[in-house]
Amino acid sequence: MLGDKAFSLIQELDRSQHGTLPPFNEDAVRQALEEIDSLFQQNVADINHLAEDDALVAGIHLRHAALERNKRCLLAYLYNRLERLRTMRWQLGSVLPSDVRTNLCEPELEWFAQYSSTVARYMRSLGDGQGLDLTVDLKPPKNLYIEVRCLQDYGEFELEEGEVVLLSKDSTHFLPMEHCQHLIRQGVLQHVK
Amino acid sequence: MFVTNIIKEFYDCISGKRVLVLVHSDLDAICSGKILQALFRADHILYTLCPVLTLSDLLTAVKSHKEQISSIILINCGGTLDLVEFLELPPHIKVFLADTHRPLHVCNIYSDDQIRILGQLDDDEEVPAFGDVFRDDETSESEEEDEDGVSRISESRLEKQRERRLWEQKRNKLLFDYSQFSYFAGSTATLMFELAWKLSKDTSDLLWLAIVSLSGEQLCSIREQHKLALCAADLNTHVARLHHTNHTDTTEPAADTITFQKDVQLSLYRHWSLVESMRHSPLTATSLKLWTHKGEKKMFELLAELGLPLTECRQLFCGMDVKLRSELPTLLEGKADKYGLGGLVTPSFSRSHVFHSRCSASDFAHAALALLEPPSTDGLSMSHAFLDASDCLNGSTVFAKGIASARKQLEAVYRQMQTFLDMNQVISAGPFLYATVLQGSPLAAFMSGPHVLGALGRFTLGAHVSASRNKKARSLPLVLTTPDSSQPQDWCLVCGIPPLADTSHRNFFGKAFEQAVSKTQSRAQLEFFDSHVIRLHVEDRSKFFDALISLLS
Repeated sequence: MLGDKAFSLIQELDRSQHGTLPPFNEDAVRQALEEIDSLFQQNVADINHLAEDDALVAGIHLRHAALERNKRCLLAYLYNRLERLRTMRWQLGSVLPSDVRTNLCEPELEWFAQYSSTVARYMRSLGDGQGLDLTVDLKPPKNLYIEVRCLQDYGEFELEEGEVVLLSKDSTHFLPMEHCQHLIRQGVLQHVK
Repeated sequence: MFVTNIIKEFYDCISGKRVLVLVHSDLDAICSGKILQALFRADHILYTLCPVLTLSDLLTAVKSHKEQISSIILINCGGTLDLVEFLELPPHIKVFLADTHRPLHVCNIYSDDQIRILGQLDDDEEVPAFGDVFRDDETSESEEEDEDGVSRISESRLEKQRERRLWEQKRNKLLFDYSQFSYFAGSTATLMFELAWKLSKDTSDLLWLAIVSLSGEQLCSIREQHKLALCAADLNTHVARLHHTNHTDTTEPAADTITFQKDVQLSLYRHWSLVESMRHSPLTATSLKLWTHKGEKKMFELLAELGLPLTECRQLFCGMDVKLRSELPTLLEGKADKYGLGGLVTPSFSRSHVFHSRCSASDFAHAALALLEPPSTDGLSMSHAFLDASDCLNGSTVFAKGIASARKQLEAVYRQMQTFLDMNQVISAGPFLYATVLQGSPLAAFMSGPHVLGALGRFTLGAHVSASRNKKARSLPLVLTTPDSSQPQDWCLVCGIPPLADTSHRNFFGKAFEQAVSKTQSRAQLEFFDSHVIRLHVEDRSKFFDALISLLS
């Protein structure tokens, strides 16, 4: 049926887990593009014969609608992938994990590099030339300090003021939030609610 | 040195610095630790909190943090040691000590500034005077050196030596008398709550922690009844005050209410069936002798007299008829005296929290104590158990787990007690009774820590006294040994329980164990802060007991 290939792309993206990026389906995209191309060629041929046969109008309309639909699906596919890529920039930082990288196509990689540098440039320009990392505290924190529990023997950890905290297993600490966030992501600390 | 103004001399000293809080692994310490944490959160005081169970835990914790920290708070640990010497403290580190273990070491009491003890001595506690324990020796020593040079033994020097010997004898006697009995002073959680109150940061959550700790003391019966009652009355005034300020302006039903009213003192009865709960509560079990057939019949008779159908009593308490449930305290109170169950219905604290059913403070204490000492088959580390117990007090899902393990633990204690009595394993050694949990028995896994050992010991002693015809039984203490969970082949735990007749709850076993160990050169580890529990090598058990018998008779 017309437009099936393009629609399957949308389905594939929709079924994948939220927040992950499935591999770029180059095959399906190419087939959808070929379909668009052949539909267009047929339409061009039919329009040339339009003066002889009025009945061709309906067919041209149908093909054009299918063509439009394919185009919409392809654009939606690409756009949504970019959206996911953008949230990843804010969540994971400028360096993508390798499993995500392999799933991207060449233009996407290029876009990501450009977007990254734009964001970085903007963040550098903030705060009177001091720079401000916008990716931390996406939601405003309720407290400057949080209570964390240490899940493994990590050893000594230095705070920004130069104080040294010894993180040993099963000890509880009350520390500045910004310093422990990456340790929480690494799974060394656990936030106690 | 004792702190007189707790805000100025303690709280103001630590604010703005990072502190190390070392919390002993017992219920009172956990509650106090949680109250302190709440205060620190409010005032943005950075802290590191580590649980400790044994002396070596304390030493390693302090050693590894010593470099980075200038003040240490010890909760329920270390008061009985000479801290400066034991921890090898550099002079810039200040130690704040809040310990219920008594007697406190005289060096801590007379420390100038480095050791600050929070809380006050009770009226009936006496500490040897400074002059009797410490003496300025430097002058006499330098004199001695001078005289050595002359190499002449003068009369005045002999006189001095004699005087010194006498003084030392007197000092040793004083110190022995002072440290002979180990006992417990008022709960640290109450002290911490009062600190919160003085800082105007008291909330009903913090108050509840103090209450739970108090009822934990009641369960472990480590203090005199009348003192506990006084503390409960004190806390009740706080309850009244907090609820008055909370609910004057709202018309809605209170979201969180703590009440102090007459309640039945049966273990976990709100989470169990009435019959089971009566069987596993020490009070009812010992006075009705529920481990015998006759006792069982007597319990049914009691229930019949109260008008409670057996089918109702055998199902979970929450499934019982609402009318029976609400009448239970009054019904039981009427019949308690007839069955010798005085003290079964006494006022106690309970709390109803928004959409949860009412829970009594002792339920929380039971749950936390059970989580603190999980059966060794679970294989949890001490610090993990500590965190579990501390989470359980927040009333989260861990609480349900705590109740379940408390039930299991109570059942194990009851079955072990029954085994002791049925097999006549409570043996009189003359000056004391002793009983041994056999190695390899499935129940031995549950007897893993000081609290549950104490509970088993008191239950066994109570049951033995009520079953025994010997009138002397009431005045005999009990020594309990059980295979140590970590190395059951080699080590065992030994726990001493003071006699029932002794109402002061002072325990002389700590000192007695220490002396017996040093006399026989047994391989033993006097590692616990509760000095009446020690670890002993299995092979040295018999000679240790021989020494203990000769020491106590």
